[in-house]
Amino acid sequence: MGAESFDIDMRLFVDAIYQKYQYDFRAYAADSLKRRLGLALSRFGCETLSQLQDRVLRDPASFPALLEYLTVQVSDMFREPASFAAIREQVVPILRTYPSLKIWVAGCSTGEEAYSLAILLREEGLLERSLLYATDINASALQKAEAGIYDMERMAAFTENHRRSGAKSSLSDHYTAAYGRAVFDRALKKFMVFSDHSLATDSVFAEVQVVSCRNVLIYFNRELQDRALGLFHDSLCHGGFLWLGLGESLRFSAWAEGFREMAPAERIYRKAGA
Amino acid sequence: MNQPQALAESVRARAAWLPPNTFAGFAVAVLAVVLISFFSLRAVEARNAAADRVQRTVEVLDHLDVFLSFAKDAETGQRGFLLMGEERYLEPYRSAQVELPGQLSSLRSLTADSPAQQERVKALESALAVKMDELARTIELRKRGDVEGALAIVRTDHGKAAMDRIRSIVSEMDQDERRVLRARQDAWESVTSYSTAVTTGGSAVLLFLILVAAFVASQEYRAREAEAWVRAGQTGLAARLQGEQILETLGENVLSFLAGYLGAQVGAIHVQDGTGFRRFAGYALPAGLANDVLRPGDGLAGQAAKENRVFHVRDVPEGYLPVASSLGQGEPRELLLAPAAVDGAVQAVLELGFLQAVRPQDVELLRRVSETIGVAVRTALDRTRLDELLRETQRQAEELQTQQDELRASNEELEGQGRELERSNRYKSEFLANMSHELRTPLNSSLILAKLLADNKEGNLTPEQVKYAQMISAAGNDLLELINDILDLARIEAGRVEIRPEPVPIARVVDGLVAALQPLAQQKGLAFGAAMDPSAPEQIETDPQRLGQILRNLLSNAIKFTEEGEVSLRVSAAPGGQVAFAVRDTGIGIPPEHQEVIFEAFRQADGSTQRRFGGTGLGLSISRDLARLLGGAIAVESDPGKGSAFTLQLPLSRAQAAVPQARAPGTEPLARPARRSAAALPARSAVQDDRGRLSPDSRLVLVIEDDAHFAGILRDLAHEMGFQCVVAQTAGEGIEAAITYVPGGIVLDINLPDHSGLGVLDQLKRNPVTRHIPVHVVSVSDRTQEALGLGAVGYAIKPVNREQMVEAFRKLEAKLAQGMRRVLIVEDDAGQREALANLLGAERVEIVAVATAAEALDRLKAVTFDCMVVDLNLPDLSGYQLLERMAAQEDVSFPPVIVYTGRSLERDEEQRLRRFSRSIIIKDARSPERLLDEVTLFLHQVESNLPPERQRMLKYARSRDSALEGRRVLVVEDDVRNVFALSSVLEPTGAKVQIARNGKEALDALSRSLGDPAAGVDLVLMDIMMPEMDGLTAMREIRRNPQWQKLPIIALTAKAMKDDQEKCLAAGANDYIAKPLDVDKLLSLVRVWMPK
Repeated sequence: MGAESFDIDMRLFVDAIYQKYQYDFRAYAADSLKRRLGLALSRFGCETLSQLQDRVLRDPASFPALLEYLTVQVSDMFREPASFAAIREQVVPILRTYPSLKIWVAGCSTGEEAYSLAILLREEGLLERSLLYATDINASALQKAEAGIYDMERMAAFTENHRRSGAKSSLSDHYTAAYGRAVFDRALKKFMVFSDHSLATDSVFAEVQVVSCRNVLIYFNRELQDRALGLFHDSLCHGGFLWLGLGESLRFSAWAEGFREMAPAERIYRKAGA
Repeated sequence: MNQPQALAESVRARAAWLPPNTFAGFAVAVLAVVLISFFSLRAVEARNAAADRVQRTVEVLDHLDVFLSFAKDAETGQRGFLLMGEERYLEPYRSAQVELPGQLSSLRSLTADSPAQQERVKALESALAVKMDELARTIELRKRGDVEGALAIVRTDHGKAAMDRIRSIVSEMDQDERRVLRARQDAWESVTSYSTAVTTGGSAVLLFLILVAAFVASQEYRAREAEAWVRAGQTGLAARLQGEQILETLGENVLSFLAGYLGAQVGAIHVQDGTGFRRFAGYALPAGLANDVLRPGDGLAGQAAKENRVFHVRDVPEGYLPVASSLGQGEPRELLLAPAAVDGAVQAVLELGFLQAVRPQDVELLRRVSETIGVAVRTALDRTRLDELLRETQRQAEELQTQQDELRASNEELEGQGRELERSNRYKSEFLANMSHELRTPLNSSLILAKLLADNKEGNLTPEQVKYAQMISAAGNDLLELINDILDLARIEAGRVEIRPEPVPIARVVDGLVAALQPLAQQKGLAFGAAMDPSAPEQIETDPQRLGQILRNLLSNAIKFTEEGEVSLRVSAAPGGQVAFAVRDTGIGIPPEHQEVIFEAFRQADGSTQRRFGGTGLGLSISRDLARLLGGAIAVESDPGKGSAFTLQLPLSRAQAAVPQARAPGTEPLARPARRSAAALPARSAVQDDRGRLSPDSRLVLVIEDDAHFAGILRDLAHEMGFQCVVAQTAGEGIEAAITYVPGGIVLDINLPDHSGLGVLDQLKRNPVTRHIPVHVVSVSDRTQEALGLGAVGYAIKPVNREQMVEAFRKLEAKLAQGMRRVLIVEDDAGQREALANLLGAERVEIVAVATAAEALDRLKAVTFDCMVVDLNLPDLSGYQLLERMAAQEDVSFPPVIVYTGRSLERDEEQRLRRFSRSIIIKDARSPERLLDEVTLFLHQVESNLPPERQRMLKYARSRDSALEGRRVLVVEDDVRNVFALSSVLEPTGAKVQIARNGKEALDALSRSLGDPAAGVDLVLMDIMMPEMDGLTAMREIRRNPQWQKLPIIALTAKAMKDDQEKCLAAGANDYIAKPLDVDKLLSLVRVWMPK
């Protein structure tokens, strides 16, 4: 199959998905989407995207499995610890000046980032006045996020990351280990809202002080990146913080002027004000 | 017992020919038969012996009778003969004679065992002999005919005596024998009954043994059958678990097999999952079972998991649910709960419900398959995990790849931009370089002509005119200098500057410079000199012209910026084979934050500095670029107020210098993307305006109005009042124009074709570029409150008359002219107050600091403030009360308020404050910074308050909308910003707004309103995404109560999809509106749904 016809197929495919399931992948970065669909083809045992499309349209039960391929669920706790350290050192002192805090973890996947932030806030004594919105489009990932249960094998790496992020407590203070799994403290969840939200189709839902959207924008094309950044800009309060992944940048975005750099190396920006 | 052991034993049992139990049974049986036979034989023998003895006694008795009979016969024969003398009477005698000895010997032999009887036989024999003798003698006598003699003998009675004796002995013997006979008969009887007993007992024992054997055999048969059944079950299950199965399929297979095999009616299987056991498959489960997670020790199944053993529950209570098992409804009579464990770790728990009784082998089967299932479950889990790991790896690879893509794209873009920039920069530089001739030629001629005029050779110019000519000449020179600088810089950047290195004696260069600049220094009264350090090299290989240019530049700058003191040049050796030229002055110095900026072309540390000292500010940029071209660098050290030191370092020889080519990084500020030019704007609007002929210093007003006629009127009015005017007819165009032209004021219509004017206002106020522009709103509809809330300076309702519009322009003008901003600080602590005043004090900002709420109110009555900073703890009123007082009192202005407090706030406190204050700051290490930031923000905004009379007018106007007057709207929303926006839209309509921050609070509020008719809620605006209880759940809960069936609910959601709308309606919403909220649409929806 020629690359060109694959591209055509792919456009039709994402369009069909959008029509049928209202999941909008039309503005996702094409190269990456192409690779993921390639994986999905082999997993579903289909030769062509049209076959896969046929199947997914007729069998809604197969859609969740496909969704696992369309969205990329990679996450670690305290990922890129230096960035967390920067949040701790540079952002937290300013967050202290707000009577209440709202934090939006956009594209939270299976929740590692959201729990990391919740733990960081708890360590900084801010959790009690905070509310974390963890949003994603993948319902099964959200379920996992809400459960807050992770394999014990991952905890060693998480603990190391946590330590390097300037931890003020032991990570194990925040979870209970049982049956080879780690279950995060239910008390953390009191300050978290898990919700379905699409950066491609939905709009702003709250005024927040921090938006964390790390390693999500890379999967979007420029247009969708701009849409998402626009949502963040609208959602953030004056002087609010936007936190992106290390591979991401505001530099060429339509919103570059809407933010100013705070910790460029850690991709922490502030909404530009007066 | 585990299987191999059982197998080994069964092999051994087969080798031993018979199972040991059976063997023992047989042995007991054989022994019993032998013993019984032995005792029977013995009994028979004893009985026979006894019978023999009885027989013998009977014979003795017989013989005694016969004997006596013969004896009597003999006597009878004798007597007959004696009497008759006939021979024939002797017959009995003769037979007796023959028989008697035989009888006697028979008796003797028969009684041989009894000595007493032998004695008697002996006596009998002798008595018989006596008798027989008497008989024989009498008979002989008779025969001979001696009857008398015979009679005589008879008369002696000897014969009678003998006879009597015989009789007596026989009787004695008879008696004796009869006694013996009785004894023997007794003995025989006892022997006989013993024998019977032995026979009966033996039979009974045998019967018992046979029964035992039969029982044991049956037991073993049944056990073997059960075992075979269990094994078949194990095999069958194992067969069903073969192959790679995912957990769910595995569970279903396990359940369907076991339920079928055991005859269970319902089943479930739970897998170990973090803290508990999650049900992953069911068999004939009723639909809609909620509880699908068990905790260890939780309920029976949980207990089975905890103890790792099979639980058998009989008499399951009616309804079953009370047993706290996850099977929920359904009423099986008996239950089996079995763990599936590997190496003691429980992997899964099975639950099976039965309508019939559970058999032991059922339990046994479950016990045995525990490990099989456990292994299968663990394998499936491992496989799932492996699968997940694989996919995780794939995803991570994907993420990396995508990041690389992104990076590559960024790089490409960067390179593209870089190339673009470089190209345009080069074009610019080339253009400038090419312009040199065109610029200089006319300038030169005007300079020359001005000089000629100034010289006034003809003497026909007045001194005034000469002065003018001199000024033209001086200005022209300045201009030339600027052009030269720009051209220099452009040439360096365009790579047009050629470096001609040659050996240069340093002293000569320095001396030349000092000589040239000495007059300038003297003119300002500065000490000026140069010094060569002993370490300094004598000569340097470089371009002497460029070196001179750099040093001249540095020195003349130093002289220019130094009012008194000295300027010096010092040459010394620098590390790395370099030479340093340090220019020091005692001038004004440069603050650290400006030390980089001064080198950047077209940027100046402070515009005022430049104005004071003249010059283009390009000198340093040129110097730095030249220094780079020469392979060196310029560094600066400075202490503001004390002086500066610029040090040029150059390599001693050109070879040392790695020559950076053409474009120097110092030019980067030029690379900033140019602001959008007017040319990029869409086609000019239909209304003729001034955009083509704007003069820079005049005042500009932007009119955003779609009605061309009215726009024309406004334009004319603007011109009349001395404004220039730009007209935009759509919201989009208006915002563009505002950003492009940054006008002094804006007149904004609310009803625009593409977007609400309020939206335009909002966008203008959010954009830092346009935020400060005063906006006056004109509209047919009354949106006064929102518009003012958003920061409009005034509001006029159409139709408007000329005076109103003149007033509007005056207001804009006044706002434009108003330079001074006022900030009110309300803080009781004197130290804090002063600190805040210092922090916020700036040029053109007037700080008013007061200690009490009363003072604050006084001040607010007297003047309007642009911003107010208030502490919550005040001596007379709390900050909150102060704000309420301000809101209630009409003669008090209400500037934007920043609450600055040292204590943390409860959520509802914060909520209350948010009604008055958009910004709340908790005092902390970084709070001054944020306070400054927020205050600056508000100072750049226009004030949103109105004079009191204007406010009264508004109140009157707003009461027109009676549909909502006095109605109560419950706003369920956790986001303060939205709460604020919704209240500010609804409250002006006269509606009472009640706030709930989540679904729970909404339900509470509704419940409370049930008891109080005055507080009855008429309509609910329901956000969807909320903590504690989301909107969908809340709406379902509300609809559950029959009293709230008709309560109108409008859902507010950030989701845009069709199915979200359906979800809202399905959950009980009457209608739906998407965020961000459109004020008009929201109000009309509220009106539509508000019960009449």
